[in-house]
Amino acid sequence: MAKNFLKFEYLLLFAVFIIATCGLIYELVAGTLASYLLGDSVKQFSFIIGVYLFSMGIGSFFAKFVKKNQLNTFVEIEILVGLIGGLSSVILFILFEKVDYFQFILYLLVFVTGCLVGLEIPLLMNILKEKVKFSDLVSNVFTFDYIGALLASVLFPLVLVPKFGVMKTSLFFGMINISVAIALCFLLSKDLKRPILLKFKAIFAFLVLIFTFLFSDQILSYSEQKLYGENIIFTKATPYQRIVLTHTKNDYKLYLNNNLQFSSADEYRYHEALVHPVMATAKNIENILVLGGGDGLAVREILKYKDVKNITLVDLDEGMTSLFASNTILKKFNHNSLTDSKVKVFNKDAFLWAKEEKNKYDVIIIDFPDPSNYSLGKLYSLNFYKSLKKIATPETVVVIQTTSPYFAPKSFWCINNTVKEIFPNADAYHVYVPSFGEWGYTIASNNSNTDFSKVSRKVGGLKYYDYQYKKLNFFPKDMIAKDIEINRLDNQILVRYFDEEWGKL
Amino acid sequence: MKNGENYNVRTRRTFLKSISAGIILASIPTFFNACKEKVITFAIRLSGTNHILGHRLRTKDFPKISKTIEIPYLIIGGGISGLSAGRQFKKKGIEDFLILELESSAGGNSRNGENKYSKYPLGAHYLPLPNIHDKELVQFLEESQIITGYQEGFPIFDEEQLTFMPQERLFFKNTWQESLVPKFGITKTAEAEFNRFFEKMADYREKRGKDEKYIFDIPLASSSQDGNFDFLDKISMKEWLIHNKFISEELYQYVNYCCRDDFGLGIDFISSWAGIHYFASRKHNATKEKTENVLTWPEGNARLMNHLKEYSKDKIFTNHLVYETKLEGENVIVKAYDDFKKESVSIRAKKVIFATPQFINSYLLPDRLNITKDFHYAPWLLATMTVIDLDDNNSYPLCWDNVIYGAKGLGYIYNQHESLGQIQEKKVITYYYSFSTNDLKRSRKELLTKPEDYWKELIINDLKIAHPDIENVIQEIDIQRIGHGMISPVPGFLSGNSRAEASRAIENKIFFAHSDLSGISIFEEAFHQGINAVNKILE
Repeated sequence: MAKNFLKFEYLLLFAVFIIATCGLIYELVAGTLASYLLGDSVKQFSFIIGVYLFSMGIGSFFAKFVKKNQLNTFVEIEILVGLIGGLSSVILFILFEKVDYFQFILYLLVFVTGCLVGLEIPLLMNILKEKVKFSDLVSNVFTFDYIGALLASVLFPLVLVPKFGVMKTSLFFGMINISVAIALCFLLSKDLKRPILLKFKAIFAFLVLIFTFLFSDQILSYSEQKLYGENIIFTKATPYQRIVLTHTKNDYKLYLNNNLQFSSADEYRYHEALVHPVMATAKNIENILVLGGGDGLAVREILKYKDVKNITLVDLDEGMTSLFASNTILKKFNHNSLTDSKVKVFNKDAFLWAKEEKNKYDVIIIDFPDPSNYSLGKLYSLNFYKSLKKIATPETVVVIQTTSPYFAPKSFWCINNTVKEIFPNADAYHVYVPSFGEWGYTIASNNSNTDFSKVSRKVGGLKYYDYQYKKLNFFPKDMIAKDIEINRLDNQILVRYFDEEWGKL
Repeated sequence: MKNGENYNVRTRRTFLKSISAGIILASIPTFFNACKEKVITFAIRLSGTNHILGHRLRTKDFPKISKTIEIPYLIIGGGISGLSAGRQFKKKGIEDFLILELESSAGGNSRNGENKYSKYPLGAHYLPLPNIHDKELVQFLEESQIITGYQEGFPIFDEEQLTFMPQERLFFKNTWQESLVPKFGITKTAEAEFNRFFEKMADYREKRGKDEKYIFDIPLASSSQDGNFDFLDKISMKEWLIHNKFISEELYQYVNYCCRDDFGLGIDFISSWAGIHYFASRKHNATKEKTENVLTWPEGNARLMNHLKEYSKDKIFTNHLVYETKLEGENVIVKAYDDFKKESVSIRAKKVIFATPQFINSYLLPDRLNITKDFHYAPWLLATMTVIDLDDNNSYPLCWDNVIYGAKGLGYIYNQHESLGQIQEKKVITYYYSFSTNDLKRSRKELLTKPEDYWKELIINDLKIAHPDIENVIQEIDIQRIGHGMISPVPGFLSGNSRAEASRAIENKIFFAHSDLSGISIFEEAFHQGINAVNKILE
């Protein structure tokens, strides 16, 4: 009998240890996610710890109302903590993309987990109080509680996050949590009421977690975390590309198919240089066309000009434009540009769209991905620029992101020469964007009298561009390439140049 | 974008194996696959030329004539040669002609099909850039807006109608590589043989006879007539390769592929004159850069066919099977069965062009069996497949023409290759298979009688070499069977008399135009056959 009782006591104390470990893990997961996703880690961690401790207090307070079936309630809470804590990271990752009230959900989850963990210790003490001397009980329970906490706080940053990633860590500890519940169900079968139902609940919860665990690779690719060497806070696979948002310190980076699209720290250089020279020099700026640029960052710059009446944005990927129109963090980057009433978004293939389009545009801004494959290469072909010409007026000015004249001079001048075949008045310029390197653009117009350095209008508040076009269009020797062919659909020479040049790196 | 430092980094999916999860992980995929395999069924359809109606020529059991039509010029057959004849009439200012076509639509081997995702060819599917001295063809390409202008004396071909890059790839030694000639994984000897072979072909390309004409030209009729190279027609292409001390297996396979592609039959059966003609007749002189590109369209040569058809608007009677021809005084009386209205018509014409293959003509005209026995036609099978995706090992991207080394068929064409769009929801490919055997009659019978599952298996096994999961991604297969796919220039045929005899006009009333009279089945030959027949009539 005494032996049995010993087993009963140690089993429950072991449970305390596990609960404490798991509880702290959930708290750390929430804190980490909050700082990944929302930035400002000091604030986030501080808030999370505060809310967590507070909610534990609330849980403890309510523990006194549990009078009947204490052991059953204890096991049930164990299952619930495992399920909610374990799934919390998954829920947060999924919701981050979709909802505005992300912070609410975050703190709600922290609160619920805290309450449940807070309930457990007093409950356990109630269960054991008749069987163990009170002083022993208190000291034992708290000893195991704090050992668990230490273990969790050491393991979490050193082993768990680097090895498993945040999502798998929380799922894994959810499973441990529930395993303890399952073990209790079986070992304390006699002391429990309706043990079969409880066993069923526990096993079911365990299966939910294991299933999520197995598919967590799909939710967040663990391998990519390693690839980027940054915290991935969001990934999304659309039919066209894989969108990955990462965060380190105060810098967010967006990758499309593993290629850096922008870094929040310096994207203003890229987008100011893309938009303002052409907006300053164009004769009219009423109707603006943006091809690509589903991130809305170019549109943000265009909207600074009050004379602009309509902006048409054509981006293939609905997943991309809707993400940048709805996600809180991403909307901060583009200043809600995609939901502006002047902006019309079409999720169409730019080439096919341009062939069908009947309207004409005063300014055309092209921000396509680099020509890294034959599909994308079509968007830099002679034929594509021919179809652009049809939607341009004689006064229209076109600007095209033209990859790096430093890393890929042949590619750069290939695009420039191809444009020149169709728009005879074409020039090139480049800027330094720290996260990309030297980056270049082609600017072109039908009208041979268009002077790209002429400034017809300006807006204030730019961080980089000072409307001195002449400062940007000088190319030193190492950014020049000669004897470059024209890129046509039937030769796609650009893709070859590009592969040769970027492949070398 | 903008790529920066991460270009060329590939995502590697690594799987975390935890103790308990491992076992379940291992069992899950097999579980899913088991389910998947059960649900994979796809639509498969067999179609082909209207052999049932065609074969009624053997019994000639048709209703009595219920209508008589009078027309000065009648063209029998609405394939490329017939439509080309129609165009030539029109260009000469003649409007009163008619074209009779057995099938429900004109076009012959240049017709096309279409599904939800793409158009696709039901036969011929490309035209190599023309020889610049082929004025008639260049003229036609100008009319069709395929040549859009001239620069420095060279035609400008419409960018959208030239094959886009990447054009061709070969699956060789478990990996795809660019171009149909293997460059990687072959021995130095083989590489040297390829070079020597192409040098020889380049020599032949420039060679001219005593009459200053090219030995190998298109149309064949423009080639030199001095007979010095007739010996090449006495041996097979394989014998030629052996005589010239070629030994590399890769070269034999490549040349065999090329012969089957253009003639249906391979190097064992094709005359070496024809084999060399394939390589030497195209002078690559239409562009400054001597480009070897071809013109192609999702619907294949149906695009060219429709341009030709423009000239014969409302003059084409489809579903009309001609079953009898008679000379009657100044006229030719042609009897035809209208399979749509189920009635027979009699047409009284002054001049008739038989733009029909010779195996048909022997049923329509007396005493021709002796002439036509030398005409051999290779059967073909085309299978157009809609696939969800076309995964392979990513060694070289999907091209317009995709050939699998050592496969039974001739590989497949990616029909949406000429799309300007970025991504296709589903891919539509057309697999080509020519029957290269010494018993064409038997192959033809096989083609007609074997069930669809037999062909499905053949196609899938062939494609599996390069796409192991092809079976799981196919949604639909449309099989097109062509019993008499193309004329095959076996040794002796091109240098013999039967072509000339079969081409000889009858009493200046019946004329002949068909690519089989040229001896090789290419668009250019059929095109010129039609023009020449009309020119002969109007002489």
